[in-house]
Amino acid sequence: MQILQNLNEILYSPFFGIVLTIFAYQTGVSINKKAKHALANPILIAVVLIIALLTLCDIPLEAYQQGGNLIYLFLAPATAALAVPIYKNWQILRRNFWPIIAGTMAGSFSSIVVVFGLCKLFGLDETLTASLLSKSVTTPIASGVTEQLGGIVPIAIAAVIVSGIIGSITAPFMVKLFRVDDPVAQGIGIGTCSHAVGTTRAIAMGELQGAMSGLAIGLAGIFTVLWAFLFTVLL
Amino acid sequence: MKILMQLAIILFICLLGEVIAAVLPFPFPASVISMLLVLALLLWGPLKIYHIQKQADFLLDNMGFFFVPPAVAIIGYLSYMEGKLAIILFICFISVFTTFAVTAWTVTAMMKFTAKRKELKRRANSAESE
Repeated sequence: MQILQNLNEILYSPFFGIVLTIFAYQTGVSINKKAKHALANPILIAVVLIIALLTLCDIPLEAYQQGGNLIYLFLAPATAALAVPIYKNWQILRRNFWPIIAGTMAGSFSSIVVVFGLCKLFGLDETLTASLLSKSVTTPIASGVTEQLGGIVPIAIAAVIVSGIIGSITAPFMVKLFRVDDPVAQGIGIGTCSHAVGTTRAIAMGELQGAMSGLAIGLAGIFTVLWAFLFTVLL
Repeated sequence: MKILMQLAIILFICLLGEVIAAVLPFPFPASVISMLLVLALLLWGPLKIYHIQKQADFLLDNMGFFFVPPAVAIIGYLSYMEGKLAIILFICFISVFTTFAVTAWTVTAMMKFTAKRKELKRRANSAESE
């Protein structure tokens, strides 16, 4: 019994969560490379693998989170790093300043309004609505906005990842459906509706699309924060 | 620059972001303030791209990895979402499409608008010089 007791303590070591996450994510990345389909998303695969392992072996979430929280800590510097793609594309941004700013502003506004309208239509409660409002922006920004709106952060993150996957699968189709020919407009559109996950698809569509999509992640994030703030003041 | 120093610079800016977020009279995510700080410092000049390039690339390339632990926490809310999963998926689906359309169309329309204004200005200028 003593051995079992010790083993249980080991699960509460931060190394357990860190090692498990890296292995699960790398498995996701290699499956993604072989499957070559956006549905085989590395994040989705990693999350499913970890949840399966925790449930099957009856490991408490708190044990996993000892290490998980240390990884989560790096989301803030990763968000700060989003300034680098904006900086690198500063010349294109300056040349198309108003189209890009107006596009990301209008896009993030429409995202909040459409999600809010649909949540009301389906009679979802306030907490769930607050958790879904920021679903188009990148995870760290969505979790910050969701906390402020009083939503549930893990649900917001799941919605963010799902939206990203939908965007990355449907991007080439949406471009045709809505007849968007300009590569800048394509990239900004993909980045605004499906953040970093959609950006991987935008990069595959073209260098300019990829750069614009990466630029839009940060801009859409900033505007979503502003709209969400206005939203809480007005409602 | 050494990778450790690059990490220190980014983390220091994140710390500054948290200080500003704490001082601001309204709620604003500290991570977004840090992003704006990095952009401002790069454009303004004291921070050079090579000061943070390697570390920033590492963070950006592995962005998805950092999402995993908070997403795993969803297991605590599965029963809460039961019966609403289809609706949530539907909302995600519709809003991805509308957001893309609104964004891309606004960009295209504004591009035409600014191109037209430039054209008008150019014509006005050439008319003056004649």
